[in-house]
Amino acid sequence: MATPAVNNNNTEIEKVKSPSGFKIIVREFIKDKVALISLILFLGIVLYVYIYSMGLDTKEVTRVDIFNQFQEPGPVHWLGTDYGGRDVYNQLILGARNSLTIGIAITLITSIIGIALGLLAGYYGGWVDNVVMRTVDFVLVLPALMIIIVYVSIVPEFDVRKFIFIMSLFYWTSKCRLIRSKALAEREHEYVAASKTLGTPDWKIMLFQVLPNLSSIIIVNMTLNLAGNIGIETSLTYLGFGLPESVPSLGTLISYSRNPEVMENKPWVWLPAAILILVLMLCINFIGNALKRAADARQRLG
Amino acid sequence: MANQPLLQIKNLTTSFRIQDEYYPAVDNVSLNVNENEVLAIVGESGCGKSALALSIMRLHNELNTKLEGEVNFKGQNLLSLSTAEMNKYRGKEMGMIFQDPLTALNPLMRIGQQIEEAMRNHLDLSDAEMKARSLELLKKVGIPNPERTYMQFPHELSGGMRQRVVIAIAISCEPKFLIADEPTTALDVTIQAQILDLMLELQEQMKTGIILITHDLGVVAEMADRVAVMYAGQIVEIADVYTLFRNPLHPYTRSLFNSIPSAAEGSDRLHVIQGIVPSLKNLPRTGCRFSNRIPWIKESAHESNPTLHEVEKDHWVRCTCYQDFHFPGDAEAEKI
Ligand SMILES: Nc1ncnc2c1ncn2[C@@H]1O[C@H](COP(=O)(O)OP(=O)(O)OP(=O)(O)O)[C@@H](O)[C@H]1O
Ligand code: SF4
Ligand SMILES: [Mg+2]
Repeated sequence: MATPAVNNNNTEIEKVKSPSGFKIIVREFIKDKVALISLILFLGIVLYVYIYSMGLDTKEVTRVDIFNQFQEPGPVHWLGTDYGGRDVYNQLILGARNSLTIGIAITLITSIIGIALGLLAGYYGGWVDNVVMRTVDFVLVLPALMIIIVYVSIVPEFDVRKFIFIMSLFYWTSKCRLIRSKALAEREHEYVAASKTLGTPDWKIMLFQVLPNLSSIIIVNMTLNLAGNIGIETSLTYLGFGLPESVPSLGTLISYSRNPEVMENKPWVWLPAAILILVLMLCINFIGNALKRAADARQRLG
Repeated sequence: MANQPLLQIKNLTTSFRIQDEYYPAVDNVSLNVNENEVLAIVGESGCGKSALALSIMRLHNELNTKLEGEVNFKGQNLLSLSTAEMNKYRGKEMGMIFQDPLTALNPLMRIGQQIEEAMRNHLDLSDAEMKARSLELLKKVGIPNPERTYMQFPHELSGGMRQRVVIAIAISCEPKFLIADEPTTALDVTIQAQILDLMLELQEQMKTGIILITHDLGVVAEMADRVAVMYAGQIVEIADVYTLFRNPLHPYTRSLFNSIPSAAEGSDRLHVIQGIVPSLKNLPRTGCRFSNRIPWIKESAHESNPTLHEVEKDHWVRCTCYQDFHFPGDAEAEKI
């Protein structure tokens, strides 16, 4: 989403990208039909959800209408309604949009923090590395889930933005570690030293030489992370520590199934959301694995 | 001005931090390189040749390396410069050629872009001018099809071609001084000769001062004007190439010469230097560093703290006891 814009400002990034890397990815997807279908399906769902939801108003969709309680799927509400008489289909679309937005935003924010700090730590080493890694250790010993749950309970008007914020605060550490260890290995390659002998400043070497060489690892990691981050949102909300009902997400819809009556007799409320989650997760994982194989293949080809 | 050496290293000590302690890999080294002169540095693996080269360019990670002494380039002490100031010298005034041309090139960047890197840093040229100059450079280093190579990636080239590209990159801003750290070690023998010829040709054209690091005495004989022999971080002998080949004095230099077939001194037996270069942490800090590798020499013959002596004009040798040195089997012969 944000990536094309970045590339436009920075033609340099685009130039250094090896077309052979891109070709290998294409080849991998053509070879692996499941991954290809997953990719098409995933992009289709994302596009549909974002476009359709532009015509929806959250207030409107989540307005309680007692007289329409638990309508079965039919021509008016074609996925039925929930206990508040709210249309499930519209909630599903809004919920999917919110869940995807949360997943993507957390992935992007944690990636930016993790990549920036990891790159600095790995490239410079020494005390820079020490400071960053001690910070990572500190964040890791914090009981993240507890803090998130407490934060959710005490903060008034909990919404998507606050959720993204609190999650991003804790989930950048593993990325930081990964990038740091890769950068540590990458800086030992002679092309880094060679670049220095040409008078190129460190920040340019980091950004335009080391980072592109880590791009395949980053892309694979981000993809698989996206699935995880959507999952965390859903499970927290399901447990009641995520988004409130006024902000529909896939988690809120599934959490209606905590009521045994709904669970057994009104599957139209929660089943579509559950299936959508499953499909999204599977798609992302298949895509991620294909990307991973492409990255490995590229490593083999050198 | 004419008498001032291009590069003058004074008492350079490079220490690496290993577990909170600094160990010198280059120990109190002083040497000069003049314009239009090739100085070869020879020595076994691990004796600190690369550490010395990287110190001159200040490429060591400054967070765990300590540099002491002076590296004067055209009268300016490089060690006192900030990184930004240092970057004005790197690539413009001084360049470096690395051992392995595959890893010295960025696998994701086109050759053309890599050649233009230094120009982009130092010269104010338009894209078209840079491209023209790159193609010219590629031609100069003997690339048969510059237009094509300009657009290629490193993995599409052979080892020899890559090393030519690496050389083209190093000379792209016509530096007055070059360091070549084992530029041919990673190449096969026929290509080695071609690359050396190319370097010699360019050196004569551009009158560059070069530090050539190698452990191949054949390369030294072909390329060098002067030779410095390094052992365990120190220079043990330095002289012009004729003097050194005619009259090697230091026990380590003689051991080196005696350990290669063609130059073996006198006897038809090859000498194998006993033991290995001690690792940084185990380096003896006092007394002589080489004594334990020539155990047949009497304890009393060694100097306690050997220093460099000028034995003839511009021929320096560490320690005076070389006068008593002999190889094991030659002891009797020398007595008569
Ligand atoms: N960054 C570093 N940190 C710690 N020790 C180092 C570092 N670089 C080199 N050394 C040590 O310094 C000594 C000299 O190494 P150097 O690479 O200069 O040897 P060399 O003469 O270039 O050997 P070769 O012929 O194998 O290239 C070695 O003992 C090496 O282990
Ligand atoms: S004391 Fe002199 S001769 Fe003996 S090992 Fe040392 S440098 Fe060589
Ligand atoms: Mg070396």
